[in-house]
Amino acid sequence: MTKYVADLEVPGMLYAKFLRSPHAHARITSVDAKRAEKSPGVMAVITGQVFPYRMGLYIRDKMVLAKDKVRWAGEPVAAVAAETEEAAEAAIELIDVHYAPLPAVFDVNEALKPNSPLVHEELAQYEHSPVYTPVPGTNIANIFKLRKGDAKAAFEKAATVVENEFAMPQVSHAAMEPRACIAQYFQDGSTEVWTCAQSPFAVRYILSHALGIPLQKINVHVPHVGGGFGGKAGINFEPLVVLLSKFCGGRPVKLLLTREEEFTTAPLRQGFYGWVKTGVDKEGKIVAEQMKYVYDAGAYADYGVNIGRAAGYSCTGPYEVPNIHCDSMTVYTNHPYGTAYRGFGHLEFLWAIERQMDLIAKKIGLDPVEIRLRNALHAGSITATGEKLREDTGRVDECIREAAEKIGWGKVGEVAENGKFHGIGIAALWKAPAMPPNAGSSAIIKFNEDGSASLAVGVTELGQGTTTSLAQMAAEELGMSIEKIKVVVERITDLTPYSWQTVASRNLFMEGRAVICAAQDARNQIIEMASQALRVAKEDLVLENGMVFPVGESEKGISLQEFAMGYTYPNGTAIGGPVIGHGSYVPRALTYLDPETGQGFPALDWTFGAQAVEVEVDVETGVVKILKVASAFDIGKTINPLLVRGQVYGGMLQSLGIGLMEGYVYNKEGAMLNSNFTDYKIARASDMPPEHIVTLIENPQSDGPYGARGIGELTMLSIPPAVANAISNATGVEIFNLPMTPERVWAAIMEQRPELAQGK
Amino acid sequence: MAQHSIELTVNGVRRFVETESNRTLVWVLRHNIGLTGAKLACERGDCGLCTVLLDGQPVKSCLVLAVEANGRSLTTIEGLSKEGALSPVQVKFIEHGALQCGFCTPAAVLAATALLKRNPAPTREEVIESLEGVLCRCTGYRQIVDAIIDASHSNH
Amino acid sequence: MRDLLPKFDYHNPQSLQETLALLDEHKADARVLAGGTDLIVSLRALQETPGHLIDIKGVKEFRNLSFGEADGLSVGAAVSLNQLVHYDAALKVYPILAEAAGTIGDYEVRNRGTLVGNICNGSPAADSAPALLVLEAMVNVASKTNTRKVPIQDFFKGVKKTTLAPNEMVTSINVPIPPAKSRGGYMKARRTMGEDLAMVGVAALVTSGSKLENKVRLAYASVAPTPVRAYEAEKIFEKNKPIDQLLDEAIPTVMKAVCPISDVRAGKAYRANLVRVMTKRLVRGLWEIN
Repeated sequence: MTKYVADLEVPGMLYAKFLRSPHAHARITSVDAKRAEKSPGVMAVITGQVFPYRMGLYIRDKMVLAKDKVRWAGEPVAAVAAETEEAAEAAIELIDVHYAPLPAVFDVNEALKPNSPLVHEELAQYEHSPVYTPVPGTNIANIFKLRKGDAKAAFEKAATVVENEFAMPQVSHAAMEPRACIAQYFQDGSTEVWTCAQSPFAVRYILSHALGIPLQKINVHVPHVGGGFGGKAGINFEPLVVLLSKFCGGRPVKLLLTREEEFTTAPLRQGFYGWVKTGVDKEGKIVAEQMKYVYDAGAYADYGVNIGRAAGYSCTGPYEVPNIHCDSMTVYTNHPYGTAYRGFGHLEFLWAIERQMDLIAKKIGLDPVEIRLRNALHAGSITATGEKLREDTGRVDECIREAAEKIGWGKVGEVAENGKFHGIGIAALWKAPAMPPNAGSSAIIKFNEDGSASLAVGVTELGQGTTTSLAQMAAEELGMSIEKIKVVVERITDLTPYSWQTVASRNLFMEGRAVICAAQDARNQIIEMASQALRVAKEDLVLENGMVFPVGESEKGISLQEFAMGYTYPNGTAIGGPVIGHGSYVPRALTYLDPETGQGFPALDWTFGAQAVEVEVDVETGVVKILKVASAFDIGKTINPLLVRGQVYGGMLQSLGIGLMEGYVYNKEGAMLNSNFTDYKIARASDMPPEHIVTLIENPQSDGPYGARGIGELTMLSIPPAVANAISNATGVEIFNLPMTPERVWAAIMEQRPELAQGK
Repeated sequence: MAQHSIELTVNGVRRFVETESNRTLVWVLRHNIGLTGAKLACERGDCGLCTVLLDGQPVKSCLVLAVEANGRSLTTIEGLSKEGALSPVQVKFIEHGALQCGFCTPAAVLAATALLKRNPAPTREEVIESLEGVLCRCTGYRQIVDAIIDASHSNH
Repeated sequence: MRDLLPKFDYHNPQSLQETLALLDEHKADARVLAGGTDLIVSLRALQETPGHLIDIKGVKEFRNLSFGEADGLSVGAAVSLNQLVHYDAALKVYPILAEAAGTIGDYEVRNRGTLVGNICNGSPAADSAPALLVLEAMVNVASKTNTRKVPIQDFFKGVKKTTLAPNEMVTSINVPIPPAKSRGGYMKARRTMGEDLAMVGVAALVTSGSKLENKVRLAYASVAPTPVRAYEAEKIFEKNKPIDQLLDEAIPTVMKAVCPISDVRAGKAYRANLVRVMTKRLVRGLWEIN
């Protein structure tokens, strides 16, 4: 039976609740927990005073509970552990907190102004990774700079220059499983944690540093996770729950978030503002591009600085641009804070870039497919960071042509009936895993007495099914049936082989290489024994159908079972030993990026793709109906078609949600107004487009496992601009901000082409 | 507030439960009876992941008080497989890749099972209508709908 | 994870008398529980904290769903929306009501939620209300000592406010047979293709044709503190003119009957636009059928 953290019980468990700040920006003038402490069933009440240490993935800017100051409406300021959930809820009501509100800032461009309220006045004192450079005295958590060629000079020579601004709000991962954590802190400092984390090793690492406990004393368990999408990628509430356990004398404590808390208090996707200036020559080839990307990280930096960086080094989209000036900034505001979310900054800047491509095309009278093909990256192209694309690079031009063909590009005209206009749009995409150049993965394959094997890997199971594909690879390498390979379900940091994180569309590739390596290690051990047992040279031995045999003589085969625990001769003498294969992988030849120019080699593998949509726009109501989607991705090799399709269908609808209906709405004081599924709309079954044609292109990645590249995030990157491009095609109306709700589309039509809506 | 003694027939088994009036059916299933397939994920009846079959009808069990179900018969996801064999709908879900994280799967499978009972040959629109109350974030619904249509063909 | 509801006493009366006695005893401290799809949500959110819940599903009279040529449709307080939506007579004689009720929530919600509950909740967004308004339904109200019939247009008093006194409940709704040859429809504007509350809801009942007197009834959800009929605008349709002209004339008067606001779901101007567009589309579509 599939168990998620919420389903787990640990004997003696207490229940936790936290108290949230109603203010977006305020000094905490007093906290009185006395009444709460005396409340029936309460074991502990803690506030920010008890643990004033800052944590963070890249910038150590966040405490477990707010101390001195709250920075967003919804930030936890106190927490309770009690015998029952009712007791915890009741106790929360009894904590008296007084605030002195401060001026708040909710817009990144306002936050960049010199007289803006500062979210982090003490920014100068925060420890941070040397890769990121927060700017003290400002709200800037990081600026990633990319400089290639001489954009200024190249603009002067451009035939046409186009400049536009784009924006999208913060959105929620809205994974179906609300965040949950159980932790037990023993008196000697050893700690057991059960959490729905995507990255148990990251959780362990940060807990270790934050709490001052050696790594090996912390054990993090991850059972099944009910959807992550990046929201559970870093560290969430684990430190809080561990602390509560500590203050409860080591009793286990369980925290379950409500859906409302998922919206107001758990991290989300950064908001985005982008300004793009593009210069093209007479043929529509981009000669210069300047962009300013600004990510609204909210109250804390979390992954936000890496997202800004990743957007910066990928800033052009899948196009070859010789002269670039890009500043990609991560900025603090008094919004809830952002974390990783599928696409990691790419959906946001591609919203800008892919809209810009169409706007340029419109201006110079070029077809949107054609302008993309003319600028598309290919083998030998130089990317924004100065990387020369290898000969085995994915083919974005093939993806664009494929998506265009499948959507019926050029065949569907502007059919207008009863106020309904049809249009087609296309958008291309690219992404590589955003990770440090040394992010590693590893795998263990250990055999059982009957010749079956267990596969242990660090990638967590969020629903993406990577482990199935990995089992396929192991089976392939070992000549075994996949039914004989069991993937260990639970991740336990004490036992599970290390994986940097389950993010970034990196795991099929990296765990895959590690698994192949582990399988080959196991294979070598088996062959070593078999060579002796059969008295055949190792090079002449084959593993197939669960047997080992000399090539050409399968009838002489011995079952793998005979070698699994070592080989025993007929007289009883044993050689070898239980077979355990291990494998590791780190990316090949990646580098840090130059802090002034962003030049370097950040990319393990670039996955390219393109998506086209056909829409029907009801100009009188602004309702946009998606009639058809065509997606094409160059994934190198389809290891498991069913799983890949699942990613494509799922990513398409998730990003359609961002395109058409999702977005945090705040009141003037910065409190969220739509913190539930009634008013934060996500796609339901009837929002699914009736037709979605998927093409998986397979130009193999020479160093990918069986030629495969990552896909998980890629399916989520280009739907919003494709839809906006289609709306433009249908109506001539240009949209620059998301989401494209019926009301907002109608407003754009009324502003730009009111005559369309005036008709009968 | 009084304690109520109620009787629920859950997956064919009679259960006697002591509960307060303000406990919902999903709570009692998860905590008193230990069946965790029905989930709590939105507290407002929006997500449908608490779906169970009440006398064969799909309902959101977070909106039903346990006492309201007194004397009634319930089917949860745990009751669909017989002697370790998955139900036909469950088999099709796996075949079509209709589950990813699995959090919505009990609800989707139960909604589908109830649909096929009352409408053995549904159109795609009818399948979509039956899933309207169940939120899924991973699959994009496509493979779920495909699985249910396939299951409906296999029945006949 | 919040499953916690406030404490209350649960009552499960088996007769009308028992129900009304309980209601009379506890009055404003009691709430009637039928489907629970609105009530349980609001209890969990601590928007209300009644000391007593009176479950009416055990009372036979409330489960009555029937149709007669003389009295029309009768929908008891415990009849679920799905029962109504699939009821033969509803589909044949009151398709507008089946259509409107079928837009409420989703299939699972409709297995529990009731028509009577939809109007008693008193939301201006109640989807069944515009249909009931144009059908000129009658609401049967009872207390321990009194019964009264309230025309649906007098039932709603404000946002979440109805005419019910604390010791009263709605026992059933009667819907008279619609005028001969009339056609009705309900149009609901949603923010997405999926289930949603109405940003704007429009119901129209249209009788028109060469041998008939033109008559239009129009009612709206989500554009006033209560669901409303546009009586003044309706009169304009009695004139003998082409439908497009009639609509052009009537729309400004419709706009006087409504007062849309801006909230988290939609803005004022957009709602006003939807009233105009949807009224035209709905009435034109029903008109031309003849």
